Parts: sequence; C-alpha cells; structure tokens
Amino acid sequence: MDAQDHYLAAEIQEALARDPRLAELHLDVAVVGGAVHITGEVATIERRDAVLDLVRSRFGGRDVHCHVTVTPTEGPQEPEAIG
Amino acid sequence: MIRIAAVGDIHYGDDSTGRLLPALREVHEHADLLLIAGDLTRRGAAAEAEVLAAELSQVQVPVVAVLGNHDYEAGEPERVRAAIEKAGAVVLEGESATVRADGGTVGVAGVKGFGGGFAGASGSSFGEPEMKLFMATTELAAAALADSLESLASSDLRIALMHYAPIPETLQGERLEIYPFLGSYLLCEPVDRIGADLVLHGHAHRGREKGVTPGGTAVRNVAEPVLRHAYAVYQLGG
Repeated sequence: MDAQDHYLAAEIQEALARDPRLAELHLDVAVVGGAVHITGEVATIERRDAVLDLVRSRFGGRDVHCHVTVTPTEGPQEPEAIG
Repeated sequence: MIRIAAVGDIHYGDDSTGRLLPALREVHEHADLLLIAGDLTRRGAAAEAEVLAAELSQVQVPVVAVLGNHDYEAGEPERVRAAIEKAGAVVLEGESATVRADGGTVGVAGVKGFGGGFAGASGSSFGEPEMKLFMATTELAAAALADSLESLASSDLRIALMHYAPIPETLQGERLEIYPFLGSYLLCEPVDRIGADLVLHGHAHRGREKGVTPGGTAVRNVAEPVLRHAYAVYQLGG
C-alpha cells in the first residue's frame, strides 16, 4: 500500500470522528491511488452530506467515492420470545 | 408476559428532529416499556439531548436508558442526563429502576460499561497507570452492575442494560482488532453469577443482534444499525 494513501485514510477517519457535525466512528475509509472511498451508514441525510463536504473541503483535489447510506427507522420488527 | 422495546445508538443531533417520532409514538401498542442502550446523542451536547427529550416526552410507556460513549464527548453527560430525565425517562449509571407492568415487575440494572476485551484476549490491570485506570473503569462498572442486579432480587424479571458489549458473539461483523474497545467480559460475569433474564447492549453498529452469555442468558445487541428498525420487541415471562 502506498504510504501516503495509508496515512491519508487514517487522517480522514480521525477527521470524521472529530467533526462536530458527524462525531462518526463507524465509517470505513480507504484511499487507493489517491482516490478516497468511504462506506458505511449514518443516522441522517444531513450527516451523509457532511461526510462529502468534509472530505471535499479538507482533503480536496481528489476523487471521492462516498457510499454512505442512511440507517432506516421503520419500526418495530416482529417480537421475539425470550426464554 | 412482559414486552420490552429496546434500541441503542440512536445518536440524536440537531438534524434528528422527528426521525424516530412516528415509531416512538406507537411504542405502547407493541411494548410495556422502552429501554435505550446508550449513545442517545451524536456528541453529548445538552442541546442534542433536548431534541430527543422532546420526542421521548411523547412515549406512553416508561423509558429507561443508559448513556454511551458519544454522550460523554462534549464533556457534559450530567446535562444530557438531566435533559432526558426532564422528559420523564430514567437514566441509570450503576443504578437500578423497577417498572410495574401488567405482567409483573421488571427490574432494570443499568450501566454504561467500558472496554477491555474478552476472556483470553483482555487487557490487564498491569503496568502503566493509564492502563490500570482503563481497566479499573471497567471493573468499577462491573461492580456497580453487580450491586444493581443484586438489589433487584425481588423483581419478576431482571434486565441488564448497558452500552458496551458483555460478550464477543454479538460483535461478530466488527473488526477483531477493535473488540477491546467494544466491550469486556467483566460486564458479563455479574450476569452469570447473580442472574438476569436478558442482557441488552449497543455500541457495535456492525455486530449482530443475538448472542448468549457463557451461563446461558440471552444477549441482544440493539444498536439501531444492527436492528435496521426503530426498536426491537422482546417478550419475556410468558
């Protein structure tokens, strides 16, 4: 793996955690050949947009592939009997 | 029979208004109480907790919650707790609450918990003070959980509610390298020693829902991204 890609992926991951719009610890970040790939799930559409905004504004000038989806909220699932 | 609705990791923020409201308004049609397994907020700001509190105030069954690691990020967990409690919910940290339902009494022992890892692959209280503090945090949480479970001996049902995971089984799907940050076997030991009917936790968004303690108690990871629903409903005692 390219060393620059390696450290950039870690830096983006940390930025996603520290950005107060996101506080996001559950996204996967990979950088391959300078292109950023982000996958995972967030709670709202606003946070999905903020992921893209953060990466473009702070780590601009590269291809960004954002495959982040929004967690569904339908409820509830079928009851389960325990015990 | 008692029906328990449960969810964790709902991560409310100023962009969450109304997100779970339709499902929360109808909890009483499905369950006798609602338990929330931590990470009520995105980053632990009191203003975020107030967004959730406004929606919890419309829930027509008792609500009992614990805080999660996200609820500590802004450094004001006591304000998060106060906002949630103002809405009529109970927030537990090493404490217990008893809810009276038609099917009997439900005792809930609640603790955030902490990490450390699992038997055979756990951190030890050894070496640097920082490492000892890390493990002592989990040990204190486990001791508080034990005291809370013991205080509920007369309840018809006992539920252990926590944020961090007590077993590795419900973490499957997460990267193995981060298991020590996701939970600790120390949170499971009091459950098997003292007894509980169900353990609920969150924190592991990529884990799986169902597991069991070494002593045979059902464990459910109710992190919302795992459930893929607003909450799960478990029926006990019948």
